[in-house]
Amino acid sequence: MGIDRLAWRTLASRPLRSLLTIAGIALGVAVLCASLTLGAALDAAVDRTVRDMVGKADLRVSGFVESGLSESAIEAVTSSEGVVDAAPVVEHRTFLSSAPGGGTADAITVLGIDPTSYLRLHDVPLAAGIMLDRSDEPVALVSQALADEDGYRVGSRLSILGARGVTELRIVGILPGFGPVAGTGRTAIIPIDVARAAFGIAGASHVDLQLAPGSLTAVTSHLAARMTEPYVLAAPADIAANLRASSASFQGTAALVAAIVLFVGAFLIVNTLSMTVGERAREVGLLRAAGATRSQLSRFVFSGALALGAIGAGLGVLTGWAMAMVMAGAVSDATGLSAAVDAVDPAGAITAALVGIGITILAAIEPALAAAHISPVEALRNRLDLPQVRRGRLTWIAAIFVIVAALAMLAWPPVAAASSAGRALAVYAVLLVATMLTPFAVRPLARLLGYPVSLVLRLEASLARGSLARDRSRTTLTLGSLMIGLAMIVALGWSAQAARAAAFAWLEDVVPGDEVVTSIRPIGPDEGVEEELAAVPGVARVTPIGSFDIAFRGMRLDAAAVVGSDFFDDGRLTVISGDRAAIEALDAGVSAILPATVATRLGLAVGDTMQIPVDATRQLDLRVAAIVERSLPGTSGEAVLVGWSDAASTLGVAGADAFAVRFLPGAEALAAPGLRATAKSLALEANPIERIQGAVAEALARVFGVFDALAFVAVIVAALGIVNTLTMGVLERVREIGLLRAIGMSRRQAMRMVVVEAAILGVVGVVLGAAAGIAVGAVLLQLGGGLSHPGGVPLLPIGVAAVLGLVLPAIAALYPARAAARVSIVEALHFD
Amino acid sequence: MTSETRPHAQRIAFTAALAPELTAPRAAPPVEPVAALEPAAAPILAAREVTKRYELGRTTVEALRGVSMAVAPGEFVALMGPSGSGKSTLLQLLGGLDQPTTGAVVFEGNDISHLTDAQATKLRRERTGFVFQAFNLIPLLNVRENIELPFTIAGWSKDVRDRVRQVIELVELTGKENHRPDQLSAGEQQRVAVARALVTRPSVLLADEPTGNLDYTNSGELLDALWRSCEQVGQTIVLVTHDARAAAYADRVLVIGDGRIEEEIDLGRRPDHSAAPLIARLAKVGL
Repeated sequence: MGIDRLAWRTLASRPLRSLLTIAGIALGVAVLCASLTLGAALDAAVDRTVRDMVGKADLRVSGFVESGLSESAIEAVTSSEGVVDAAPVVEHRTFLSSAPGGGTADAITVLGIDPTSYLRLHDVPLAAGIMLDRSDEPVALVSQALADEDGYRVGSRLSILGARGVTELRIVGILPGFGPVAGTGRTAIIPIDVARAAFGIAGASHVDLQLAPGSLTAVTSHLAARMTEPYVLAAPADIAANLRASSASFQGTAALVAAIVLFVGAFLIVNTLSMTVGERAREVGLLRAAGATRSQLSRFVFSGALALGAIGAGLGVLTGWAMAMVMAGAVSDATGLSAAVDAVDPAGAITAALVGIGITILAAIEPALAAAHISPVEALRNRLDLPQVRRGRLTWIAAIFVIVAALAMLAWPPVAAASSAGRALAVYAVLLVATMLTPFAVRPLARLLGYPVSLVLRLEASLARGSLARDRSRTTLTLGSLMIGLAMIVALGWSAQAARAAAFAWLEDVVPGDEVVTSIRPIGPDEGVEEELAAVPGVARVTPIGSFDIAFRGMRLDAAAVVGSDFFDDGRLTVISGDRAAIEALDAGVSAILPATVATRLGLAVGDTMQIPVDATRQLDLRVAAIVERSLPGTSGEAVLVGWSDAASTLGVAGADAFAVRFLPGAEALAAPGLRATAKSLALEANPIERIQGAVAEALARVFGVFDALAFVAVIVAALGIVNTLTMGVLERVREIGLLRAIGMSRRQAMRMVVVEAAILGVVGVVLGAAAGIAVGAVLLQLGGGLSHPGGVPLLPIGVAAVLGLVLPAIAALYPARAAARVSIVEALHFD
Repeated sequence: MTSETRPHAQRIAFTAALAPELTAPRAAPPVEPVAALEPAAAPILAAREVTKRYELGRTTVEALRGVSMAVAPGEFVALMGPSGSGKSTLLQLLGGLDQPTTGAVVFEGNDISHLTDAQATKLRRERTGFVFQAFNLIPLLNVRENIELPFTIAGWSKDVRDRVRQVIELVELTGKENHRPDQLSAGEQQRVAVARALVTRPSVLLADEPTGNLDYTNSGELLDALWRSCEQVGQTIVLVTHDARAAAYADRVLVIGDGRIEEEIDLGRRPDHSAAPLIARLAKVGL
């Protein structure tokens, strides 16, 4: 029989151990495969979204202000040399007047298009009905998502709220899915002239351009020379990059957790192969005595490892595919991109499979070397005890850490930032240190934490501690994998808690109100809305906030028009540079307050001047009056704060899209219903801060829920390792158990011995895991800048880890405990 | 003295002198009673037409074929025979480690052939002591802890310390109480095993090739310790061995071959333990 077949038969002779190891490999490969497949799905979603957004267009020219590009600007754009085709689009958010099915009050996005030009640049598939024909007919296409939510079908009436009241339209077609706009999917497409009339817009929100080959630079230069109002250019690649950036952090963290699951799987493989070599030492000795070379014996181990790795990788790919399909919905919610998984990503599957097999082979190196160096004389002794065979080297664990880390860096998602890779390496380093310290902590912790048990079950606790101390390396690997899994549960839980705390603190720090009343259109100061809201009994103050964009050094920045004195009086905003009085001074104009992140990114300090282009000939100089820790959230970041005098008179901000409402002390319960009723009557939506916080918490829960699920897989792999270790422990102690049974130990006592060993493992694992988890969490928060709002001690995640750490080992002990109880005394005493 | 005039009373007197409360009568396992034996020589342990068959695949192996034998209280009996003769199987049946296919094993007047696992466990904990060929010590326990292991298993704590000290003295290991097994010689480890088997004052001590792994000197020390326990405190011992020198320590030798008792050789209680008479008897009967 060849060495390979002997190796495979050896694996088959221990089916439980082999299956557990295959399961461990499969889970690690599955997590990596799922992560890569979801990454590919997100990439595809980005491409699909960009295609839906810009179609065949090579460039998009967008206006800054609410009114978009003027007619003259559109003329300048479309007449540029190099422009082959142009499609102006009006894009506006509004509410529906009513919905046939009772509907929701959620806003919709309306695209006003010129059917002729738009359809030359965009593919607009229809699920039902007919396409728009003219630019002035009061008809509409709605997305399937909107139709399903509100009960529309072809022929239904669609009533949209505009600047001049309600515009009635007839639905003539249904767009499949979410339609051409990224977001909630509530989209309607109407003729551009109808949109212009409804929303009081003369020009367009943006113009999509098809260019002659090689003319991008010329067109860009032409626009720079001829445009008289602020605009921003975006190529499809830019849009795609922005969309990918929104998922980069998610993909980075998913890759980190996947790498850790793989590492825990590597622990399991090293343990299993070391156990196999130890158990088969006599066979190996016989082979050596019969003339087998060292390389043949190494091959004995590698052949078995390859078989385990290949089977595990195959199962892992299939499992990963299933995991990706299950997680696609949660990932879509977390990133805002519609990621669909129909098939496993081939490149991801191959990568995950190769990584799984590679890690298995790497983990087999040390046991293979040990097998090759077994002395035939030692191995063939009557009483076999080969410490150098049974015990791996802890340094090999460090080597595996480094190798897996290197592999993880190679397979790191390109879209994830280098900083996330750095964060992952820092986490790895903390876990490596924690793992290398484990063997020194096991004995004292086992004695200390096992003491309560030893008061009741002295013999079982003593034998259990002895079993754990028997093979320090094996115990380290088993305990280390449990510790790592639990540490990730604690660290991710703490990160989620801190993110929630930071978000809540952010809202409380920057919003000068108990409720935020939002509008999907800018509310001008002359409309009297602010006064109506302020007239609600119990309302102390109403602060208008207008969101808009500014151009600075060729970049688009989020900005917000605010009443500085309201923020000052309400005690909002934490000034970290400059005088707090600068907040109030915003109202006087020609000053701006920057959030710290923007100031750092732009390299601006208090006293610097920002030159904001207003049109081709004018610019607005804003002096940086202060820098604050946090600012109002914008579309893609935090907003630069300017006073209303600058925003309205110079920057063209038409009005407020939000009102922060502060109640009189103790009056919220009575005032809030009145406020909401008034808001509703004005087609506005009132949101208490708690609801906003709740929405934030929900969004964070969806994101972190995915990570927690992946970290849980690591704990499951660790539990498989515990089953393996305890079972091997029973096998190694068959004679000892037989002796104990022969002198009067009952089956129940034998079972208790194994269960107590598992319990001690679990308790020590929880203590080490909690400590390591706090360390990892601190690293994640420190590198993510969140340590200023840690959200307190992560008691809940530690509690979850404690429950897992106690329950899973107890379950893992069931089979080996029963095996210990079933030991036949007669067979055990002749066991050899 | 012969095996029939076993100093059973002497054993009881010795025990009563040292620890009277330990001689309080214990509840016997609830088993079916057997026919009464002759009061003057009532055996403490007996096998009645015992057979033991094993199924190995399609083959049935008959390890014992209708064996009958008895051990008197305080007697030292050796079961001797070559490898595969069935002597270890018989020992396992006598000690309640296994159950006969047919026949009965009677221990202190009670049939123990069909005990439940819990009853058999109780029997092993309270009435029997075992010594095996391999040292069978728990590596992470020291000498004292290994010896008091039966008490630990049973949850007994009364007078354990004194009893442990007595058996340590009996096996001449005084001063090594805190040594771990890997700090002892092979012979010392086996004497610890003997001490552990004796510490609960079992009705019968069963030893399966206890000298199998020992050299000449250590074997002699161990057999001396066993004989001392028999001679001084009236311990009943059943010893399995293939070594005539070890069997020569016994009062009576049962030669087992091919699953049957082929010969019974009565040597009597002899302080010199010479193997010559036994070897001569074995040669005479052609063994």
